Amino acid sequence: MLGLTLVLASCGDGKSSSGGSGSGSKSEVIAIAADPLEYINPLNENGSPGIQVAMAMFAPLVTTDPNTGKLQNVMADSVTPDKTSQTWTIKLKPGNTFQNGQAVTAKDYVDSWNMTAEGSNAWKNNGFFSKVDGYDALNPPTADGATPKPTAVKTLSGLKQVDNLTFTVKLKVPFSQFGLTLQYLGLAPLPEEVRKNPDAYKRKPIGNGPYKLAADWNAGDDIKLAKWDGYKASAAPEADSITYRFIPNADTAYNEFLAGNVDFTDVPSTKVKSFKTDAPDQWVTSVSSGANYLVFPAWDARYKNPKLRHAFSEAIDRKAFADLVGLSDPAKGLIAPDIDGYRDNACKYCDFDATKAKQLLQEAGGFSGVVNISYSTTSATGQIFAEAIGNMLRQNLGLQVKYTGKQGSEITELADSRKLDGLRFGGWGHDYPSIEDYLTPMFKSNGDANFAGYSNPALDAVLAKGDAEPDQEKAIKLYQQAEDIALEDMPLIPLYTKSNAYLHSAKIEPRVSKYVGVSALWATFK
Amino acid sequence: MIRFVLRRVLAAIPIGLVVTLGVYALVFAMPGDPLRELAGDKPIPAAVLAAKRAQFHLDDPFIVQYLLSMKDILTGHFGTTFAGADIADQLRLRIPVTLKLTLLANAFQWTLGLFFGIYAGFKRNGWVDRSLLLTTLVLLAVPGLVAYFAAQYLFGVELKWFPVSGVLEGFPRSYLLPALVIGVLGFAGLARLLRTSIVETVNADFVKTARAKGLGEQRVLWRHILPNALLPVITFIGLDLAGMFGGAIITESIFNLPGLGQFMFQAIKLKEGGVVVLLSTLAFISFIVINLLVDVLYGVVDPRVRNV
Repeated sequence: MLGLTLVLASCGDGKSSSGGSGSGSKSEVIAIAADPLEYINPLNENGSPGIQVAMAMFAPLVTTDPNTGKLQNVMADSVTPDKTSQTWTIKLKPGNTFQNGQAVTAKDYVDSWNMTAEGSNAWKNNGFFSKVDGYDALNPPTADGATPKPTAVKTLSGLKQVDNLTFTVKLKVPFSQFGLTLQYLGLAPLPEEVRKNPDAYKRKPIGNGPYKLAADWNAGDDIKLAKWDGYKASAAPEADSITYRFIPNADTAYNEFLAGNVDFTDVPSTKVKSFKTDAPDQWVTSVSSGANYLVFPAWDARYKNPKLRHAFSEAIDRKAFADLVGLSDPAKGLIAPDIDGYRDNACKYCDFDATKAKQLLQEAGGFSGVVNISYSTTSATGQIFAEAIGNMLRQNLGLQVKYTGKQGSEITELADSRKLDGLRFGGWGHDYPSIEDYLTPMFKSNGDANFAGYSNPALDAVLAKGDAEPDQEKAIKLYQQAEDIALEDMPLIPLYTKSNAYLHSAKIEPRVSKYVGVSALWATFK
Repeated sequence: MIRFVLRRVLAAIPIGLVVTLGVYALVFAMPGDPLRELAGDKPIPAAVLAAKRAQFHLDDPFIVQYLLSMKDILTGHFGTTFAGADIADQLRLRIPVTLKLTLLANAFQWTLGLFFGIYAGFKRNGWVDRSLLLTTLVLLAVPGLVAYFAAQYLFGVELKWFPVSGVLEGFPRSYLLPALVIGVLGFAGLARLLRTSIVETVNADFVKTARAKGLGEQRVLWRHILPNALLPVITFIGLDLAGMFGGAIITESIFNLPGLGQFMFQAIKLKEGGVVVLLSTLAFISFIVINLLVDVLYGVVDPRVRNV
């Protein structure tokens, strides 16, 4: 019986091995290790799979030049701040259209942004507009359990259309980095017919980017895109057609690549040790835009003394830890190495020195009790990493250590309510490539991602100065001062920065940039 | 007969309530906030959070959430998942996938199980019987996860006999490899059960009587031993089949078959109580229906239990 079915199944094979390639001369199949998307709408999307697909179909206002790391215009003709960096004027290039043929105008931007800013629409990029004047009127506080009601006010008072191609954005407070934030794809405009009834266009998006849907896209289908010849805003990627295939199990996606059915895939964490031999000459790596930390609880007085935190930091052998993580480098500061303003000597307490660590701990008056390290049970490696850190603290500082495994979201919840005991792991990746997007979220009082519950008025003041400084060079200097303050207080210990690895078929060469990482969309064909 | 069926259906209702309530309680008790799980590390604006909480009744007490979910299920208003997928659409797409996979897998499993079970039972202590025992032990010891990936790598990536994953090549090609692996891993239990059952029946009094009457060996085997030996097997097959709406979670994930198993996995991961309860209800109903069929079938095969 077994033999018979095998024979039957092997008939009629032959061309399925190259099945991924599709028809066009320059076509590629990109595997996405996630559940299939349910809609494409950049304004209501902040997850990486959704943004990745939207990136092919929509164009941002500005983008980072992959070669220089500087901003370059895409849909925008110019982005100019006023003297205080509080009001920004955005001028669009003329002659760009949506894929339905309508011109892209300032009104499209203003109306799309207003829709997103209105809290009752519950679009995921709502938070972006919290910096804009008038946001609070569209997002009144809602009682627990109540559905936010549509507000009477429908427009952000800070958004003003000047003429057909020009609009201004007035922020609540000066913000010198606002221009950088405009490269976020979640700010792409929707054309009028989509704005009228977004639900009707969930599966037939009308973009302003280089690719459009090549075929009807139904639930569970791969997404097939074809080059849209109406795209003129900037140079388009090389591929004539792109297929995004959703394979939720990353190891399966990896096997599909090895079988030759997809042209590009991420290397899953389980294959970090083997991918170079599995696919020789078909891999690329790049530093990922983010950094990883060990987070102290600001609410526990036992960890309050900065000297004690420095002692913990000095007791960690980052080199050994990065080797354990794999594809990683020891962290030398609080920001990712691909960011403008990174210094590889920022952290004075990050080189492993057990003697100094013991001395610092003594000066801090020692530590009473047991150090608890929480790790996420959802992550395959959580426990191993926790035990590695724990062993270093035990051996180098003579502390008692215990470990607690919990679901990732439960750890976050406990930390948010300031009930978590002891240390935990944290990571942050920027939304826009600015040193500011590390310091504000993690270290400003009540920052969006202030894992440690940290607050220092001196740091807040320096950040505010940086935000108000129109000269980028000077602004970066100010942000570096803020980083120095954060490192002296050390609410979280820098651990490692990770590289990502990707596999690509022989026919494509993905774009690799030290500023914006690896991109399959922008691959060149051989 | 009708009374029997009715009684069983009525008895199923309170059991169904207890089961779904229990499942809902388990999902509810899972640690972590579902919307946070959905958002990852990114902060969610308060307004968005409030709107989603209200939409999915997450602020209501446990029992209210459960009743609202049940109401939605019973009135057919399945709504959407946290990620925005239309649940009715998802069921329409996913039920056929799971049905194709489990039916094919069961077909392999039964064919192999019945064949080897009967052979080993009738030719006790022959080489087939002995090697079956060994194979059974080996197969039962192999973790599914390892076997699935190994089969995928060997037959999909290296030999290219089957598609690696996905349903692009349709039925049956896309389903053959996963179904075969499930069948091969699962047939051992069935074969062992059938063998033991045959061995027991062979020594029963009515078989001796049949032989004493002077019936031919073939007739004794096929008309007297086998129907009686198959009784426990029917129960086993019934239970096996009834479990199919639970979905083959690991298989569907590794072979990227978008069936109910993957749906269940996503829903549990995201703590989507409503979806989990909906899928459990489906599984429960299929369990009740198939069990009922098994009981009716029992009556057909075995006159002794006909008027229970």
